[in-house]
Amino acid sequence: MSAEAGPAPKTEGTPGSPGSAGPWFEARGVAKHFGGVVALDGIDITFYPGQIVGLIGDNGSGKSTFVKIASGVYQPTRGSIAIGGKDVRFRNAADARQAGIETVHQDLGLVDSMSIVRNFFLGAEVRKGPFLDLRRMRRETNKMLEEIGLGNLRDLGQDVSRLSGGERQAISIGRAVAFEKRMLILDEPTSALSIAETEKVFEFMRRARQRGLAVVCVMHNLAQVRDVADRFVVFWHGRKVVDVANEGQSEQELAGYIIKGKLSELGIDESALDTGALRVLAQE
Amino acid sequence: MTAAQAGANQQVLAGASPAGPPGPGTSGGAARTSRLGSSNLAFRVLRQRETGIVVVGVILFVVFSILSNGTFDSLENWGGITSTAAELGIVTIGVALLMICGEFDLSVGANFSFAALVMATMVQDHYPAIAALVVALAIGAGIGLVNGLVTVLLDIPSFITTLGAFFVWTGVTLIVTGGETVTILPPTPGLLNVLGGVLAGQVRSELLWWLGLALVVGVVLQRTVMGNWFFAVGGKRLAAVEAGVPVMRTRVLAFVICGVFAAFAGAVQLGHLDSMSASFGTTYQLEAIAASVVGGCALMGGRGSMLGAAVGTLILAMLGSGLILSGVSPYWYEAVVGVILVAAVAMHTRVGRLVSGAGA
Repeated sequence: MSAEAGPAPKTEGTPGSPGSAGPWFEARGVAKHFGGVVALDGIDITFYPGQIVGLIGDNGSGKSTFVKIASGVYQPTRGSIAIGGKDVRFRNAADARQAGIETVHQDLGLVDSMSIVRNFFLGAEVRKGPFLDLRRMRRETNKMLEEIGLGNLRDLGQDVSRLSGGERQAISIGRAVAFEKRMLILDEPTSALSIAETEKVFEFMRRARQRGLAVVCVMHNLAQVRDVADRFVVFWHGRKVVDVANEGQSEQELAGYIIKGKLSELGIDESALDTGALRVLAQE
Repeated sequence: MTAAQAGANQQVLAGASPAGPPGPGTSGGAARTSRLGSSNLAFRVLRQRETGIVVVGVILFVVFSILSNGTFDSLENWGGITSTAAELGIVTIGVALLMICGEFDLSVGANFSFAALVMATMVQDHYPAIAALVVALAIGAGIGLVNGLVTVLLDIPSFITTLGAFFVWTGVTLIVTGGETVTILPPTPGLLNVLGGVLAGQVRSELLWWLGLALVVGVVLQRTVMGNWFFAVGGKRLAAVEAGVPVMRTRVLAFVICGVFAAFAGAVQLGHLDSMSASFGTTYQLEAIAASVVGGCALMGGRGSMLGAAVGTLILAMLGSGLILSGVSPYWYEAVVGVILVAAVAMHTRVGRLVSGAGA
């Protein structure tokens, strides 16, 4: 919210690799209860600089709840979060952003009735004395939009409600990238996009990885997540059931992970089922 | 600065428009937006939500001036209209700001009467007028604070919270005063004339308070972080939460501001009339919401302006005076306000669909 909060110049980071350095983000036993409903049931998870993690799981598996905790929107009922080895407590999204986590939420987090510029800087407004520095905000927004290939949106004063679905998605992702510092979380970033557009979002994620950011991407589409992720984490009913490196597993194997979670939850020994049955289940 | 110049490998999302083919600068969406992006002054004026309502105001002025045979547009009459408008207008500033933030306050009329009655009683009992004013404003802030905290912490729609507050404070006012009118006998303290009184000719101090405060709040809304947050919270609360805006604090603050303005309007009317009664403020909540909506505040929040709220207030005040001077029974006032209210919302909705955007 201070003048320094504008998009920071992006420095070339050294692509970190898991193992070479400790995790940047670490969740330990994070749980979230809504009344009697257990949305997250004690999750341990780590995110490393320079790595893209694909977070997958069925509807209601707790992916979005986890994203909301990591981005400070929800506070965990139990468990703790450490950043760079130090325990932190996010009271709100501002704290998480302060810590270096930018998030593209599923609803894109845009206020339709506000201008592109004001959306871009919402919660990180640039001030000059007591007033908004609209000129500087406009200039920075313009620069960023050009960089992400939306420089043709000439009227930055127009409401976001006037933009198409893809443009809105681009603004939301562009905003997270502009302010990105250490970690980028994307919750279903490609749900409204065509294949070509999805590839562009992936390009963004790869560039973020190259700059040494930890990237977390929640996805539904297993074929897509296979293309971009370095590591898969599978949630099932609020638990982490699988956490493996991407070694070119097939879509069906990925679906199998989700099923495995389901089976272990039900107490069924997966080896009792042959691959064919797993495949049939996966197709469903 | 076309997209093509930005470098091929930076074209990451250039075609991110489902409507158009993915390509630099030539997609349908881009063409549409850049056409709308004309910085043409006429366009900028036309796309403001307030433009239509200003035109309606001017038409009303002309019609009433003709129908009243020149009495409506007399200077004396405008002294009265601006005084009426100012007192409602100060209430409307707070109500409009709160509506922009996505909330209602139906208790402003009760707040107005209660705060002003306490102030009147204190002045009558020879307390310094300035102390009485401070107490009145504190009462307004307190009522707003309770409204805000109950709404936010108990997660109750503000419509209900403040409807309850309306009954509570109306009841308290009647219990305390027994329904009597409190009149301040001369010599009245000078402060009351500063709040509401004749400055020169037909220019009254309440008019200056109204315009001055509307201007200040207008600047706060358009040019400060806090104003930005009011719009964001009212426009889409979840997005504001996700961006790290302290949403609860912002909402409670909007209630407090609204309460203070209602109490201040009560103090201004006390200065104007030198008397106050529990019944004086009773219609203000609905009139203030009507004025805000006529002026372009969105019922569900996120849109609105001080200029619109002021013009909306002025239209209501013009109707009150214009109908009488045109020989129409004043009983028509409510009916006409109702028609204007619905027509204005229909207009804002239509214009909003054609062109939206109120500038950065």
